[in-house]
Amino acid sequence: MTDSAPAASAAATKITVRDLHFHYGDFHALKGIDMDVPEKQVTSIIGPSGCGKSTLLRIFNRIYAIYPKLRAEGSIELDGDNILAPGYSLNRLRSKVGMVFQKPVPFPMTIFENVAYGIRHHEKLSKAEMENRVEQALRSAALWDEVKDKLKQNALGLSGGQQQRLCIARAIALKPEVLLLDEPTSALDPIATGRIEQLVEELKGEFTIVIVTHNMQQAARCSDLTAFMYLGELVEFGPTEMIFTKPGKKQTEDYITGRFG
Amino acid sequence: MNTGKDHIIKSYDAELGRLTGEIVRMGELAVTQLEAAIDVLERRDERAAQHVVANDEAIDQLEQAISHDVVRLLALRAPMAGDLRNVFAALRIASDIERIGDYAANVAKRSIPLSMAPPVAPTGGLRHLAEMAATATREVLAAYRDGNVESAYRVWKNDVVLDEAYTGYFRELLTYMMEDPRNITPCTHLLFMAKNIERIGDHATNIAENTWFQVTGETLDSQRSKRDFTASPQLDRLGPPVDND
Repeated sequence: MTDSAPAASAAATKITVRDLHFHYGDFHALKGIDMDVPEKQVTSIIGPSGCGKSTLLRIFNRIYAIYPKLRAEGSIELDGDNILAPGYSLNRLRSKVGMVFQKPVPFPMTIFENVAYGIRHHEKLSKAEMENRVEQALRSAALWDEVKDKLKQNALGLSGGQQQRLCIARAIALKPEVLLLDEPTSALDPIATGRIEQLVEELKGEFTIVIVTHNMQQAARCSDLTAFMYLGELVEFGPTEMIFTKPGKKQTEDYITGRFG
Repeated sequence: MNTGKDHIIKSYDAELGRLTGEIVRMGELAVTQLEAAIDVLERRDERAAQHVVANDEAIDQLEQAISHDVVRLLALRAPMAGDLRNVFAALRIASDIERIGDYAANVAKRSIPLSMAPPVAPTGGLRHLAEMAATATREVLAAYRDGNVESAYRVWKNDVVLDEAYTGYFRELLTYMMEDPRNITPCTHLLFMAKNIERIGDHATNIAENTWFQVTGETLDSQRSKRDFTASPQLDRLGPPVDND
């Protein structure tokens, strides 16, 4: 019952999900997901709590791999390579796929070091190169003007919205191809939320972005494609405009119009 | 899409229900105005005609109330999908009904000079047109209220019959005018009134289109077999142009 390929999307496919199942021990959390995530567009995933949307997002960078008893079946191809295959290195995956979480979690170090930390793990850069990279990342995350005079200060002193943009800067400093955002604004006020949404719009020219959100208006505002998930299944996936004006499935309509599901 | 379920927030359902109720009430008022306009024309009752003209204000006020409710719903509820189409259609339908009310008031207004001149051409043809327009408007309002697309589609398709009747009446009035130039003034008034009523039919089809959109999310294409009488060789000297919208 899933629509894996949104009709209105002309972009190349970045991530191809085929017959994906996921188990938390005995719990069957994802039931045969098929989905084509287009390149350099924003795809949002909506659905009620427990529908599997965060699970799906987390499989995209295999965060589950650190826990026992968690099992994924099926395939997820990133540029044609199955990231679930045992031979696909986690290091390679994490450098291609960055993730930002619901609650901003800056490292307890300076603003500069928060961004530089990840880069050092992957590359050897001169001091000047590093400063340049950090500045670029902070500029891309629309944070530079606010922090350029206090790069040596502790990141924990930033506001929630600034911390979240710092986390985005940290993720994009590694030059990933895919950026995963898990409820990126649920802890932020509307102004800080607006800044993140504006940032998403600016970043999509460079990255393939997937956002999980409870906020349907946010999905409507900032994504090109929207997926609706319910009870571990992908109910409907299509252009955001269609999903919010004329969804094809009754379950989608009930959910987005605020009726009993 | 009417999924038959209530909103989790109950007052939202109440507000949407109120909007539909206001539209239906406004439409009923407009149809009553049209019937009253024909009535005062036939009775040649100038005072009653002025009363009909003044009554249009009530329809205008309802339209303003609906616009206000729509803006409020958009701002406070941020409706989506079927709800969004519901609110959008309500706004457009209210504006169609407001126009229907204006045309009915125009018919009443023109009946005043007619009632002051000696009776001339028969007004039966006009009553026939008005009855068709009133029936179409009533049916399409019921279709809107019930979300009945089949019924809305019937009204939409049927407008061609009103157009034909209008053309027939147009020709009939022309013969009266050719018979005696003194008929020209009253018949011209009747012609304008007939045109007003023909336009009411067009607004009923607009309501049908918006009902269709509200329910299905799709537009009702202009495939209706409206006849372009102006292009017809045997009618091109006598037939009026028929607006298509």
